[in-house]
Amino acid sequence: MEQEPIKEPAAPLASSSENCTDPYLRCAFNGAALTALGISNSALLAHSPQGCEYLVNNAFASQECDYMETMTLCTKLCVDEIVHGGEDILARTIREVKDLPISALFVLSACGPEIVGDDIVGVCETLQPEVNFRLIPIECAGFRGSQYDGIDIALDTILKKLVKEDVEKIPNSVCLIAPHANANPTWPADLAWVKQVLSRMGVKVIATLTHRTPIAEIKNIASAEASLLLSHDAGQKAADYLSATYGIEQVCKGIPLPIGMTNTKRWLTALGERFNSLITAEEMVAEGERMVMATCRRKWPMARFLYRTPAAIVADATVGIPLVRFVTEEMEMTPELVALYTSQRPVRELLERELQTLGLNPKVVYGTDVYKTRKSLQEVRPQVVFGSTIERHASEGLSVAYVVEVVRMIRQFRMINREYFGYNGILNLLECVQNEWTMGWRSKEKRYGAKW
Amino acid sequence: MNPGNNSIVFHGDLQQLLKKVETGEMIPKLQASHAPMCKFFTSYYVISGIRHVVPLVHGPTGCPLYMSDFVRTRECCEIRGVPLEPTACTALNESNIIYGGEGKLLEAVKEAYAKYHPDLIVILSCCCSGIIGDDVESIAREAEKLVGCRVLALRSEGFGGDFRSGYEDAFKLIMDLMEPPKTKMKGTINILGARWGPTPTEFNWDMDEIERLLGEVGIKINAIIAGGCTVEQIRHAREVELNASWCFDWGQKLGDLMQERFGIPYSKTGQPYGPEATKEWLLGVATPLGMEAEAIKVIERELKEVKPEIEYLRKALSGKTAIIEISEFPGPIRALSLARMAAEFGVHPVVINVHPYTIKERMPSIKFLLESGVNPEIILTKGLFRLGSFRSSKETEDELEEIVKGYDNPIFFGNSGRFPPCPVVNLTLMNPAFQPQYGFRGIKNIAALVRQALENKDLPRSRLFRGMLYGTRTN
Repeated sequence: MEQEPIKEPAAPLASSSENCTDPYLRCAFNGAALTALGISNSALLAHSPQGCEYLVNNAFASQECDYMETMTLCTKLCVDEIVHGGEDILARTIREVKDLPISALFVLSACGPEIVGDDIVGVCETLQPEVNFRLIPIECAGFRGSQYDGIDIALDTILKKLVKEDVEKIPNSVCLIAPHANANPTWPADLAWVKQVLSRMGVKVIATLTHRTPIAEIKNIASAEASLLLSHDAGQKAADYLSATYGIEQVCKGIPLPIGMTNTKRWLTALGERFNSLITAEEMVAEGERMVMATCRRKWPMARFLYRTPAAIVADATVGIPLVRFVTEEMEMTPELVALYTSQRPVRELLERELQTLGLNPKVVYGTDVYKTRKSLQEVRPQVVFGSTIERHASEGLSVAYVVEVVRMIRQFRMINREYFGYNGILNLLECVQNEWTMGWRSKEKRYGAKW
Repeated sequence: MNPGNNSIVFHGDLQQLLKKVETGEMIPKLQASHAPMCKFFTSYYVISGIRHVVPLVHGPTGCPLYMSDFVRTRECCEIRGVPLEPTACTALNESNIIYGGEGKLLEAVKEAYAKYHPDLIVILSCCCSGIIGDDVESIAREAEKLVGCRVLALRSEGFGGDFRSGYEDAFKLIMDLMEPPKTKMKGTINILGARWGPTPTEFNWDMDEIERLLGEVGIKINAIIAGGCTVEQIRHAREVELNASWCFDWGQKLGDLMQERFGIPYSKTGQPYGPEATKEWLLGVATPLGMEAEAIKVIERELKEVKPEIEYLRKALSGKTAIIEISEFPGPIRALSLARMAAEFGVHPVVINVHPYTIKERMPSIKFLLESGVNPEIILTKGLFRLGSFRSSKETEDELEEIVKGYDNPIFFGNSGRFPPCPVVNLTLMNPAFQPQYGFRGIKNIAALVRQALENKDLPRSRLFRGMLYGTRTN
C-alpha cells in the first residue's frame, strides 16, 4: 500500500522568514506532557515556572486524566532558581513526593531550566535510589519545537528508557502510535474504534503510545510484529525507531487515516491484507457502509444539498487530509482551501497525492497560522468552513454560510466521545454539518411579538 | 464551635493571619502545592483588554497559546462580543535562544504592524527572552520609529514574579500612554483594574451595575482600564477628575500610581457587596466630584427598591454563623467583602481556607481591608497545605463538613461544589442567573440566593456531582 513520494510539491512551503506568527500549535513542552500523561499509574512533575503548569493542565484534559488518579506537580521556579539554578528545588520536590503510590514520575523541563542548564537527567539519576518509582526525565523545553515535536521527543525518551529487548514476538500483534496527535477534541473515540477493528481481525494490541497505557505494556512493545501510526502529524519517528531497532513493521503507511467511506475502506483493506483478515475487513466495509446509508435513510439529514459548494478545511493533517476526500465524495462539496497546521514533507506528499487523485486544485496553506487562515478565507471566500472555533470568528464578515466546528472546539461540548474514524465517524461528521446547517436557518429576530 | 477539631492549623482573625504570613510562618513549605498563574498570564490579561492592540509575545509558541485559547477565543470572542484579535508571537526556537532574538523581534513588530494595523503593540517577554537577555525595551523604542503606532515593552517573564506583579506592571506600562491633560473632563472618572476586555454581553455583570449606578448619579466614565478601552481613551485618562476601581485589589496599584504621579485622586473603596459597601463605593466616587447630593438621592431611591430584600436578609440571617469559603474562583477578596456584608445582616462571619499564598500576593488589598475595619475570624485547615491542588479539595471538603458541624445555626457562603451539612448559598460567578452580585441589584440577587438556600435546605444534594468532585464514598 505504500506509495511513491511526489518529487515536486504543488504548493510552496510556509515561509521560514516569518517573524510574527499567531500559531495554532502549542509548544514541545505541551506535547511531551500530553504524551507522558498517557502513561497510567504515573505522575508528572513540571520543572518550570508556575505558568507552564497550565500547559500541563491542557494536556491533562486532552488525555482525559482523572485527578483522583493522576497528580501533576510543579517546581514553580522563580528568579532565584533561574539565577542560581533549580536542581536543588527539583531534588527537594522529588523527595516531597517520594511516597506517592505510582510506578513512574515523569520530570519535564521547560524553557527556563534548560537555558540555565539544569541537569534534570543527573538529578533523576542521583535520586532514583531514594524513591520507589521510576524517574523518567524528558528534556522538552518549549523552544525545541511544536507540540508534535514534543510528542516525538517524549516518545523517543519513553521508548529508549523503558522498552525491554529480550521479548519474543507475538504473532498478529501491533502497537499503536500517537493516537493523541489528533485534533478531534474527543480523539480517544478514534483510538477505541481502531482497537475494536483490530480485535475483530484478531490482532492483539501490545501497547498504545500513549493513552491509559501501563508501563508494563511499553516494556513489552518489542514483542509487537507491526506498528500502526494514528496520526499524520507526529509519531513517525517512533514508528521508524521501532522498525529500525526491533524490526516492527509499520502498516497502513502513506495512506490517509480512516475518515470517510473511501478512506476507511482503503485503510481497513490494508490492515486486512497485512493480518490475513481480508475477508473480515471486507465484511466490516460492507456492514459499515450499509449501516451508514441505512442510518441516513432513517434519520434523513437535510444538510445534503451542498453539492459543489465551495468549502475550506482548516485543521491538523490527521483530520484535515482525510477530510478532503470526505468533503469531496460524501458531502459533494468542493474544497477550495486546505490549510493545515503543519508543513512536514510527508504531510505535503500525502495531501498532494489525495488532491491529485481527486482532481482537486484548491489553495493549499501548509503551516498555517490564524493570520494566514483569515487572509486565505478572505481570498477564497468559501461558503462552508470545516475548522475550529477560531475559524468561526475568523470568518466573521466574509459571508461564510456555515462553520462546522470539528477540531479544537471551544463552544461545543461533548460528554460522550465521538470518533471521526470509521463508519460511526461518518455519521458524527454528518451530524456536525447537520447541526450547523440547522443553526444557520434559525431565525435571529422575530418579525412581531406574540400576544400571550 | 468544637475546639477539638484537629484538622485546624490556624484559627484567629485576619490581622493575626497577615502577621503570620508576613513573618513567613504560614507560607506552605511544599514546593509542589498550589500553582497559580504566572506573571506573563496576568500581564496578558490586562493588555488584552485594550482595543486594537497586538500583544506580541516574545517567546516560544507555548506561552501565547493558553492566552489565545482561553482569553482571546473563549472569553473575548465567545462571551464578550470582541472580534477575533491577534495573539502574535515570535515563536523563538533553539537557534534564537543561542544567538538571541532581538533581530527577529524587531522584524516581528514591523510585520505585526503591517498585518494587523493596530493602535498599539505591546511586546511581552517570556522566560526564554528574559533569560537570554533580549533587550525588549530598546527594541520597542527602535521599532516605534518604524511603525505608525506606539510600541511598548513589558518584562513579563513567568519566573519574574507572582501573578500580582504581572498585572501591576501591565497597568504601570499603560500609564506611558497617558498624555498630559489638555482639559479637565467634568464629572468624569476612569474605572481601574479591569482585564480581558469588556463585560460579557449576555450577562448582567458587576461592572454593568457599577456603570448603571454611576450613570444614575450623572457620573461619566472615560475609560474602563483595561476592560475594552481604546488607546485614545487611555491617552485622555489624565483628564478625568477621579479614578475608581471595580475591584480594589486589581485597581489599587494603578490608582495609587496615577495619584502619586499625576495628582489624580483615587477613590479607595472595597467591593460594593451589600448596602453599606455599595453606599460607600458610590459616595466615595460622587463626593470628591461634588455630586454627593445626587448620589444620596440615587442611594435612597435604590435602597427603597431593595428594602424588602434587605429586611429579608436581616431576618433570615440574623443570629447565624456564615462559613465563607471562596478559596479558588472567584477569589479571596470577594470572600472578605462577603464577610463584611454578612456581618451587616447580623451574621457572624467565619472565613475558611483563604490560602496564605493569596494573602501574600494580595498584601496591599488585605491591609486596606483591615484598615477599613474588615477583620473577620479565619480558619485554615490542614487540607489547604496538602500536596497538589485538586486532591486537597477532597481533604478540605471533609474538613469543611467537620467544621460546619461544630457551629450552631450555620449557613455556608461559597459555591455549590461544596456539600456541608447546612444551607448552601451558591455565590459562584459561573451562574449567569443571579448576576450581578455588586450594588443594589446584587442585593436582590443575593437575597434570592439566600432564600433558595434556606427554603430548599432539605432537598437532596447531587450524588453525581459529589462523586465527580470527591470520589465515591463508602463510609
